[in-house]
Amino acid sequence: MLDNFIFIGLPYGALALFLFVLPYRYFSNRLTWTPFSSQFLERKTLYWGAMAWHFGIVTVLLAHLTGFLAPRLVEAIISNQAFFLALENISLGLGLLALFGSVVLLFRRATAERIKAVTRIADWLILLLLIAQAATGVYISVYVRWGYQWYHYTAVPYLYSLLTFHPQIEYVSDFPFFFKLHVAGAFLILGILPFTKLVHLLYLPVGFLKDPQILYRWNFDPKEKQG
Amino acid sequence: MDVRAQIVMVFNLDKCIGCHTCSISCKNIWTDRKGAEYAWWNNVETKPGIGFPKQWEDQGKYKGGFAVKNGELKLKLGGKFATLLSMFYQPNMPKLEDYYEPFDFDYSNLYNAAESDDQPVADAISQITGKRMDTISGGPNWDDDLSGSPVYAAEDLNLEDRKIIEEYGKIFMLYLPRICNHCLHAACMASCPSKAIYKRGEDGIVLIDQNVCKGWRFCTSACPYKKVYFNWHTGKSEKCIFCYPRVETGQCNACVQSCVGKIRYVGVLLYDASQVGNALIKPDADLVQAQRALILDPKDRAVQEGARANGVSDAWLKAAISSPVYTLVKEYGLALPLHPEFRTMPMTYYIPPLSPVLASKTGAYELAEHGHGTIPPIETLRVPIGYLSSLFSAGNQEIVSDVLKKLIALRQYMRQQNLGESPDEKVLRDVSLDPEAAARLHRLFAIGGFNERNVIPPQQREEHEPAGRKGGRGFGILVKPKGGI
Repeated sequence: MLDNFIFIGLPYGALALFLFVLPYRYFSNRLTWTPFSSQFLERKTLYWGAMAWHFGIVTVLLAHLTGFLAPRLVEAIISNQAFFLALENISLGLGLLALFGSVVLLFRRATAERIKAVTRIADWLILLLLIAQAATGVYISVYVRWGYQWYHYTAVPYLYSLLTFHPQIEYVSDFPFFFKLHVAGAFLILGILPFTKLVHLLYLPVGFLKDPQILYRWNFDPKEKQG
Repeated sequence: MDVRAQIVMVFNLDKCIGCHTCSISCKNIWTDRKGAEYAWWNNVETKPGIGFPKQWEDQGKYKGGFAVKNGELKLKLGGKFATLLSMFYQPNMPKLEDYYEPFDFDYSNLYNAAESDDQPVADAISQITGKRMDTISGGPNWDDDLSGSPVYAAEDLNLEDRKIIEEYGKIFMLYLPRICNHCLHAACMASCPSKAIYKRGEDGIVLIDQNVCKGWRFCTSACPYKKVYFNWHTGKSEKCIFCYPRVETGQCNACVQSCVGKIRYVGVLLYDASQVGNALIKPDADLVQAQRALILDPKDRAVQEGARANGVSDAWLKAAISSPVYTLVKEYGLALPLHPEFRTMPMTYYIPPLSPVLASKTGAYELAEHGHGTIPPIETLRVPIGYLSSLFSAGNQEIVSDVLKKLIALRQYMRQQNLGESPDEKVLRDVSLDPEAAARLHRLFAIGGFNERNVIPPQQREEHEPAGRKGGRGFGILVKPKGGI
């Protein structure tokens, strides 16, 4: 029952929220589409928190995604034992970095006077969820070895089964409690993402990499006028 | 040639009395909101002084503006890769302490305090935390009138020699009102990963699209003038909008309208957009000349045709021809850009001050020789040429001297005329002016009315996009800027 909830109910619920709320928010109220940076108000603690958290979580998340999107590639890489061990250890390190960063950020939310002025309930919710997620991730990395190996014989086929609407939870239902917590946390975060400032992670600044530095906008089409 | 039009402001610093009325009218209209209390789209600084935010001219600290590297213009902030790496924490962003913690006063205490032997006071309350503040340690004009201060004025980066402000007889002061410069090559725009900042083609006003802005904050440090402010409540950046809702309908900016000293001029400039890049890679000393060269003569047939081809309307061309800004910036070359060495090509211009008029350095308050065709040596002026050229011509003293000589000649000529003496045209000819120029400038400086000082053609947006305007909404943010749960 609990397995069905975690591995079927939660993911589809989260997916539905993500797919429907996100466009609604994008088209109805883009004014709120921002990470709500508070660096302006407090920066000393933020440096340690935000740098550690972001660089840790971005790489770990990319590793999860690569395993999911390019399982063959990961398989090829981990067939070399030296690479495999290095990857395991680096990932654990990055996970610890993210955990450290998120704890620092929580500490900052709780103590910095000015930050209280810009703190909403969602900020606490997100922070606690992300800390739990990083903590369970680190726990799994240490105690459920070796993640890089079992990930794409279990989690990856399970995720694909979700996408094809034939959820096969037997791939993952035998995992220990902390793994289930980690999965539940992931889908919970995905589900609340459209409601919170986490939407900022969906924005990748690629457009600006190729565009001209100086951007003009006209209230009419200048070419049309030339005719 | 790619002719574009921009609506431009000129400040006549000789006439600024530092009353901050412009700042107040701007604040009342645009930034009297939560999150923007500390932001002054228009502010007035005392020079020498550190300005607002503190030391904004120090690009070693904030990395604002552009630098030329191997013949190419590069953001001092770093390239696009550096931008991506510093998204999560931005080392150069000005912090609240560089501005000040905004405050209000608890006036209710004056009425509600319990009876006591002491007079009740209105305590300062932080507008961020809502808590009582023991000491107020900064404000938007914190070093107002402190041009002799060893704490503030001595830290002014434009001073060649700090000793000068220590001597009572040599001390000098001027006011510097500042708005967003609506640059032709804006660094805020170039640094924005979201591409939220844009320049309007039709009038050159630089705006931040609040829907597109993602709050990455690079603009706040990239702008060398520190005229982009981060709203801590909405999590997005804001800046001076050149009062576009007013200007579009042919009205004046609030700061101009309220200016007590009538120091501001607004008008149209036509410029050649295709040459901006080339002009900006010139050596420091040539930057002002290069910028002037971009500004086109609105009476020139070829320019007019080019402008029409780019959609500049006849009303705008007409305004460009009678533009006081063109007269001051290009025709007589009196108005100079602020810190051209930041290489963003700022489009507000300043007429450097002579004040206090003709006081010599040899003794305090001694009037230098006056009238009768003699122009006193520029070096004897109270405000050092080196200081002015550091502000307005990237160190090129010749350019500032030329302007000051013209201003002095103009005064001499007009003085002779007013006193009924036969005016000596040679005074004007020596600085390449003529009686016609003198008459025009005298009107602009002294007696010209509101409509002479400000020639603002309406946008007539309804002609460009009639369908889009129908059922249009009013101004302001219609959605509450509140995020998440």
